[in-house]
Amino acid sequence: MVIADDRKARLIEAMAEAGLDVLLVYGNAWQGDYLRYATDFGILEGQALAFVRNDGHVTLYLDSPIEVDRAQLDCPGVEAIHAPDLIAEVDGALDRLRNQRIGAAPQRLLPRRIAARARDLNLSDQTSFVDRLLMGKMESEIAATRRAAKVADEGYRVFMNAARPGRADYELIAETEAFFRANGVDDNFQIIGVGGVEVRGMTPPGGKRLKRGDMVTTELTPCVDGYYAQICRTLVVGEPSPEQRAAHALYRESMEAGIAVVRDGIVAADIARAENDVFRKHGLGEYTTSEYTRVRGHGMGLFADTKPHLLENVTTRIDAGMTLIVHPNTYHPAVGYLVLGDAVVVTKDGCEVLTGTPRELFSVPA
Amino acid sequence: MRRGLMEWDPQELPVDVLDARIARLRGVMKSAGLDAFIVYTNLVRPSAVTHLTGFTPYWSEGLLLVPMTGRLVFATALSNRVADWIRSTNPVSEVTSTPRPGTLLGERLAKDTAVKRVGLLELDAMPSELADHLAAAAPAVEWIDGSALFATLRRGVDAVEQAMLARADAIAVAALDRVKEEAVSDAGALAGLVEKNARLAGAEEAYIAVAPDLAADRRFNRISKPTPLSDRFAVRGSVSYKGSWVRRTRTFAADDATRRANVWFDDLVRKIDAERSFAVQFATGVSALPGATIESWMAESCVGSYPLSVVASSRLPTSDTPIAGSFYVLTAELLLDGRRWIGSAPLIVGRPSL
Repeated sequence: MVIADDRKARLIEAMAEAGLDVLLVYGNAWQGDYLRYATDFGILEGQALAFVRNDGHVTLYLDSPIEVDRAQLDCPGVEAIHAPDLIAEVDGALDRLRNQRIGAAPQRLLPRRIAARARDLNLSDQTSFVDRLLMGKMESEIAATRRAAKVADEGYRVFMNAARPGRADYELIAETEAFFRANGVDDNFQIIGVGGVEVRGMTPPGGKRLKRGDMVTTELTPCVDGYYAQICRTLVVGEPSPEQRAAHALYRESMEAGIAVVRDGIVAADIARAENDVFRKHGLGEYTTSEYTRVRGHGMGLFADTKPHLLENVTTRIDAGMTLIVHPNTYHPAVGYLVLGDAVVVTKDGCEVLTGTPRELFSVPA
Repeated sequence: MRRGLMEWDPQELPVDVLDARIARLRGVMKSAGLDAFIVYTNLVRPSAVTHLTGFTPYWSEGLLLVPMTGRLVFATALSNRVADWIRSTNPVSEVTSTPRPGTLLGERLAKDTAVKRVGLLELDAMPSELADHLAAAAPAVEWIDGSALFATLRRGVDAVEQAMLARADAIAVAALDRVKEEAVSDAGALAGLVEKNARLAGAEEAYIAVAPDLAADRRFNRISKPTPLSDRFAVRGSVSYKGSWVRRTRTFAADDATRRANVWFDDLVRKIDAERSFAVQFATGVSALPGATIESWMAESCVGSYPLSVVASSRLPTSDTPIAGSFYVLTAELLLDGRRWIGSAPLIVGRPSL
């Protein structure tokens, strides 16, 4: 509750500075960070819209009755309303807010009917306003991220212990999820890759069974009190080959080069460039492009994959208090898709690495 | 975020079944004078696209274009690197990765001068950016809300969907059975146990919620922190198997009232008919259970993009009549001899079991 109170105070202050009377936020279980910031509710089913007024009153409209029960339990300071026809109900509520200065976020996901009233109601896009709040963390938010990073380390050990020949990829995730549910983790983002040179990325599990020589990649992203922290690691079933070891050493050099430049005042591109320079130095620059990799890391917070994305063309300033994952995950032509990533929190002079798991290419008995 | 088993098995979901579902949609499109149909998907609103293609996004979002003839087009913001994975679970669509799915599909529509009227599932709820991109790229198109039209398609369940619902239900039942077998006293550990067993059995998703002390509070929540279980608690498992969702709720207590309520509810679910409204059937049903009063009830079904949404309930002013051959999940909350009991179970109206 301390984090929620901190966020609310910061949001109300920022709304006053921006001249907003009301903020309208949208959320669902995929993109729930704006909603969580404003209401502290972690939605699972259906969709929600919420109004935050400048006096601190929060009204949360939910179209699922079972989510209304959850919101009442989790967010007792919020007025939770069951709105079977969510959009019509909020449309009507907007009518009652005429002549107020209303901001909305995230604009792109607002239901069409609500967004269509922008001109009529002087509804302004305040996505970047909330993005700034989401990116720059307060101490209580960083503390939650530290807890998430610690349980990510523990979760990776559970994952590794579950990995053995003959087991299906989804069984490894099942074991990890059971550990998380019993240890304060409400949610987790996780994808997986199993195999060798044919594996070009990570996806949800497809039933592939582990066998000797397989590389098993995963990014595991548990959520504690709403905050996600990620860890990326690779293990080999049996002894790693010399090629796998050499590839891993390159990724480690790249990740450490990226982490080495993290500090207040740089831009996101600086981190990506430091990572990619290592690949270029080894003649593998091609594998830092979008053909083989999505990003070289990203922000973490109330969304598992939040801004800023670490790419050489992203000029977002990195500020102290941001939490990031630095991961040079990409395809390697000799061994297949390989991942390695540590979570960090940006400080004035550098960063604090939150991940405690050794930066090893792990091996499990074949 | 989906992280359970996601794969397409052509034996389980044959292409000709998907083709038949698409043909059915085209039939109602033609009757409604629509030249094409567009369906939005994300992991919260996946079910319409899953029904037509077998595909569910684990993350991000996309739009499916169903033209009157020819191959379907799925445009998604998921990155190009996972396009092959999408193709492996979506056998009936052309798959395109693009940061602007709305623009891509709008341009496709605009190129075909025969396309004048396009149906959109849940038009009002379409994310505004996608809707704006569609409209900007196809300015001459008239957009029609196709929600009611699509709901007619979801009346009745084909044999393949029935089998997948049955598999989802079997996973949920077996996972909840573990509650009786394991002496767990903590709600977080219990939720982990049920979820683990559901996922080990192949669940694509499992939302486990617990009401840890029914005497104190009827509400369910996801619980992952130490919370003691009382001697009367309930567990709700919302489980998906390859996009087919069921809910099962069970009350756990060692008393005769619970046993009687379980028997009563099984009987009520089995006997739901297409002749009387849900409200009448719940009211009539509870009168057969001595000492019981019904506190609330709810009927959910899959009629659009949501896996399950409420179609009738004691909280809503109207109560529809069940449709023969359609799928529902019923939930009932009773007070029986002063004790609270909550249960839910899936059914297909007019069929003895899933």
